[in-house]
Amino acid sequence: MKHVGARHRPIDWDQRSSGKVVYSGDLALPGMLDCAMLRSPHSHARILSIDTSQAAMMPGVKAVACVTDFAPGARYIHEGERDRAPFADQVVRFIGQEVAAVAADTRAQAQAAIRAIKVVYEPIDAPLNVDESLGGPYQSLHERPTHEPNVSRRVLREWGDFAAGLASSALSVGGKFRTQRQAHVCMETLITIAHWREDEKRLHVWTSTQAPYFIVKEVSQLLGLEKEQVVCHEVGVGGGFGAKSKICDVEAIVGLLSRKCGRPVRMRLVREEEFETTKTRHPFHINLKIHADRDGLLQAIEGDIKVDNGAFNHSGASVMGAGIKGLGMMYRPQGLKVAGALVDTAITPGGQYRGYGTTQTSFALESLVDELAEKLKIDPIELRLRNANQPGDVTLVGARLRTAGLAACLRKARDEIGWISEKASRKPGRGVGVAAAVHTSGSFTEPGSNRSDAAIDVYPDGHVRVRFGGADAGTGQRTIMAQIAADILGVAFERVEVLTMESDRTPFDMGSWSSRGTHFAGHAVRVCATETADRLKAIAAGQIGGSDLRLADGCVVNDAGLSMPLGDAARLSNEAVEGVLSVETSYVDPHMEPADKVTGRGNVSASYNFGVHAAIVEVDRRTGAVKVIDYVAVHDVGQPINPTLVEGQTIGGVAMGIGLALGEELIHEQGKMVNPAYINYAMPRAADLPRIRPYTVGDSDPNGPFGAKAIGECSINPPAATIANAVYDAIGVRIKDLPITPDKILDALAEKESRIRRFPIWNRPSRWWIELVRRFYGMGLLKILHTRNTIAVATVDPAPMESVLRPQKLTDAVASLSPDILPLGGGTDLNLQRRMRMIEPRALVAMKTVPELSGITRTPEYIEVGAATTLAKLQRALGADLPVLSEAIATIANPQVREMATVAGNLAQAKRCWFYRSGFNCYKRAGGLAPCYAIEGDHRFYHAAIDGHRCQATTPSDLATVLTALDAEAMIVGKIDDRIVPMSSFYTGPGETVLRNDEIIRAIRISASASQRTGAFSKLRLWEGDFAIVSCAISASIDSSGVWRDVRIVLGGVAPIPWRARASEARLEGRKPSWNYTRGALELELEAHAHPLKRNGWKIEAAIGVVEQAFALTQARSSAPRNLMAAE
Amino acid sequence: MAEFRLRVNGQDAVVDVPPATPLLHALRDELGLRGTKESCGRGECGACTVLVDGAPLLSCVLLVDETVGEIRTIEGIAEENLDLREMFADSGAFQCGFCTPGQITRASALLQEDWPKDDKSIDSFVRLAMSGNICRCTGYSGIIDAIIATARRRGKIPGHNR
Ligand code: FES
Ligand code: FES
Repeated sequence: MKHVGARHRPIDWDQRSSGKVVYSGDLALPGMLDCAMLRSPHSHARILSIDTSQAAMMPGVKAVACVTDFAPGARYIHEGERDRAPFADQVVRFIGQEVAAVAADTRAQAQAAIRAIKVVYEPIDAPLNVDESLGGPYQSLHERPTHEPNVSRRVLREWGDFAAGLASSALSVGGKFRTQRQAHVCMETLITIAHWREDEKRLHVWTSTQAPYFIVKEVSQLLGLEKEQVVCHEVGVGGGFGAKSKICDVEAIVGLLSRKCGRPVRMRLVREEEFETTKTRHPFHINLKIHADRDGLLQAIEGDIKVDNGAFNHSGASVMGAGIKGLGMMYRPQGLKVAGALVDTAITPGGQYRGYGTTQTSFALESLVDELAEKLKIDPIELRLRNANQPGDVTLVGARLRTAGLAACLRKARDEIGWISEKASRKPGRGVGVAAAVHTSGSFTEPGSNRSDAAIDVYPDGHVRVRFGGADAGTGQRTIMAQIAADILGVAFERVEVLTMESDRTPFDMGSWSSRGTHFAGHAVRVCATETADRLKAIAAGQIGGSDLRLADGCVVNDAGLSMPLGDAARLSNEAVEGVLSVETSYVDPHMEPADKVTGRGNVSASYNFGVHAAIVEVDRRTGAVKVIDYVAVHDVGQPINPTLVEGQTIGGVAMGIGLALGEELIHEQGKMVNPAYINYAMPRAADLPRIRPYTVGDSDPNGPFGAKAIGECSINPPAATIANAVYDAIGVRIKDLPITPDKILDALAEKESRIRRFPIWNRPSRWWIELVRRFYGMGLLKILHTRNTIAVATVDPAPMESVLRPQKLTDAVASLSPDILPLGGGTDLNLQRRMRMIEPRALVAMKTVPELSGITRTPEYIEVGAATTLAKLQRALGADLPVLSEAIATIANPQVREMATVAGNLAQAKRCWFYRSGFNCYKRAGGLAPCYAIEGDHRFYHAAIDGHRCQATTPSDLATVLTALDAEAMIVGKIDDRIVPMSSFYTGPGETVLRNDEIIRAIRISASASQRTGAFSKLRLWEGDFAIVSCAISASIDSSGVWRDVRIVLGGVAPIPWRARASEARLEGRKPSWNYTRGALELELEAHAHPLKRNGWKIEAAIGVVEQAFALTQARSSAPRNLMAAE
Repeated sequence: MAEFRLRVNGQDAVVDVPPATPLLHALRDELGLRGTKESCGRGECGACTVLVDGAPLLSCVLLVDETVGEIRTIEGIAEENLDLREMFADSGAFQCGFCTPGQITRASALLQEDWPKDDKSIDSFVRLAMSGNICRCTGYSGIIDAIIATARRRGKIPGHNR
């Protein structure tokens, strides 16, 4: 084998790396229409009427559709009772559900028409989480076969001999675990194009999918067409991760619209819409207990699982089932008894997601295995080795393991992470953790899922085309298929092309999900290529004779050295059409069996792959921040077909898993998603991750193609427990509620060390009223004030604008300002505000073109920075002299944003409160009696813990924090007069400034003396480039003896405006402060001023931690010679 | 509608679009340069990165009205960055490829910047520099490796190609 097993470049690397791959969004069909979706603003409501008549008459509108345009009772198939119609049918069940859609010449016209559709709703109180669904006084979302309110399905799995297991066990550990709602975040938003061709009576579909099979199946049944009438076409697929394992929720709608108007119709989800409305990972509540004997051998597993289904079934039941199966596939207990309930909630439904339930349950299991190890004083890896599955095992769920490299994975991970030395050298705050996982390679879920077909065409010129019905969402099957075909047919890799997804030209395959891609594509192409080779040999034998025919170098060769080019042999075949020999074969896996309907047991997969991860983390006890220092991921994948692809799947899964462990979470308030944007979703960026080190071990599996087993999903299962175990090892607290964010760490540490901070307000009468209102919010005031619907951000686009002015003189720039003509800096915030319709200016005035606003001036008295200077330029110009400034700028967003964003724009950016920004009609947006959603909503990170009033937001600018510490002044010019405002009084509220709308900042001035001071900046955030949860800038003149003068300690992110710790500053003045002394002063001051919300008191603790970091840096700098500082 | 003159990949171009159109839409929809991708349209992911006078900027929030200078897109830089693209291919630096034009464009600018001299800080230097470009598939290792390897090949940093 020359190609199988080799590190081949992806088959289309050149196109992929040069922007030439055509994704559905890159297609421009003649006459194509754009469309927009009307989505439910309610969590639960009856639809009393829908009137689309006016929308249909709007300019550019070509088709309007709602539920009545589908056949009565049309429902998605997926699983269980068919509970979801393509458009809401009489009832809406989550905010964002599809109600109607419009196709028009332009997107703007479609959106305008959407606004003209009149829907009358009758809202119903909705259960928004599992507890409310099971316990609350809410009407059921559906009628379910369980006849229990909001319980879609119950299962009880009992495998093996549970009673015997219990009887042989000596101890047990247990706990309650929770996992969160995670988004797939495919970088390509879902874009679907459909074109009904009346002449062909066929619907052509270009859509980003992992499974064209299911697109055809669902679209045809929903539109009442034959399967042959729906044709999928090959496009680039910009990520899948399970999101596109089945049909999404727009393809049938787009097909319907095109059928109505006969034109190609395109639906593009915008990023916010993708976050808000596409399916997510199902959150699990897991109550798990494991029982073991004295030697640490696992005897029994017992559990109770509640799965948050969201508003519709989709794959909820099978995700729950797979999660339980995951528990029955690991280790060798005698018995398992787990009950599961699938609970309906009025939230965006869950769906297929990489890991498929086993990610959630293995977090619980592997956390408990570590607890067991601790109780028994056995090393966690040793304990797992004692329990490791062995080849030949039949696991509790009925999985027959031909190969099982769990033990080999454990040993390799132990060596690679340096487990023994790491455990021996106990460094404070540093810990090492391990966790294991298992996964299937495909799964027999429904008829046909054990089968895959492939076709091969051999052309007269000797090049070969593989046709395959699945799709490659970046996971590499196209490359793997080419490698296999090249080897078996003896042609160069470059002579193989691969066609996928073309449903009328590619044979049967169910798609790339359940880690089945390599297994089925591999076997299918192996079988087809072998058959093709046999036929070519037979033809050539008749021509060149000889024996021992083989295929090599593009020819059939015999033992006498005579050869015949493949293309010639193909042409001679009597099956050849126009010289092309086409062979199609079918592979049916002989090892897989469907799970038993009653017990759920069965050998559903042909092979099982194992993975063990180990990580070293450092936990900052001051701030709760977790940093992953080293990460090793060892997988038993059998014999890899392409090691580079295996490593890619491994590292990618780990990154997603670390996201799950440390930050990712979709958050809802009043049923609406609070954080549907990258900027509010803590997924890892490059600098958040260490170099992840992948390894493979294990034996070639006889059941796999060329000995290969799967990898796609297994890699996402261990990270959460690996990190949780490492965190426990580091600081002795176990977080059972994902994600492991700094708030949970600091709260857990405080509780463990019984030092819960209290913030008495009895001596602060000015805040009594605020406290009272906050309490009323919790008692129902919020429900009363929440009268207006939230805004569906999904349908928001910037309003059209008249012009962007580009004045050449400052006076012209200022003269053109008015309440609806706004200054434009870098546009990174302003254009976002326009997109979200927070502002609708008539025109903008570009400030970057005004010469007086750019440039940096130095005089003996001051440094002046032009307002339109970009952050990048400022850092380059002053970074060496002002490390405190440089440090702050380096943490702002990312390099591209810093190249664009201006100083004034950064200072004047609007508050980043995620309720305000994401379409909640809050007090700041709607005024009057509208509520502040942060009071009861998730305010752990980005809201004030000091001085919050009616609005709890903070000023987001890190620059503001630093410039306040540097006593900078804003030089303001206006139509009427100019003025100078110190930064310390520049802000009047969260992201609100003294600037009138006929004024702009001309420059920022920093006095020479302030710029000479020593200082440092430190910041706590969830991901690289995030806004500050807490930040601190310190600035002081420190003389050679270490005495501090002109002390400034400014905190960002904790109060509506940059908050000076004035009392502490005063107490440090003229002293040589130790950290203990400073801490004492700070604690006193913060405890006196803080008035945190329910769940952000931890920010005070974190603030002290962040000050400590900045303090230490400042101290270090003060004793360092000046030139050394400049070099930093 | 208004006419805007642009200079793109070494050629003059005129686009006729409404005021305040993002440069990205002008490039993709008017000039047919669809290699540059839109993933968020909010300036938060880097998929739409283009070079303007060599600086990597986000074309989804950069308005066509205020774009002055030489614009270069993935179509314009692919050829001269063949070495970088090959390294991407060899390192597993892309899977679905949707983020890749943005990554390559950003990286091509980074390869023109000053690099730290000491070997130990190179990894974190590159990671920080690339943190504006989200990739959901690869976990970044391949991207970082490919950029560092290219920098070595181009003699920006000492040492051998790994
Ligand atoms: S598309 Fe421009 S930054 Fe995301
Ligand atoms: S390769 Fe898919 S997002 Fe980067």
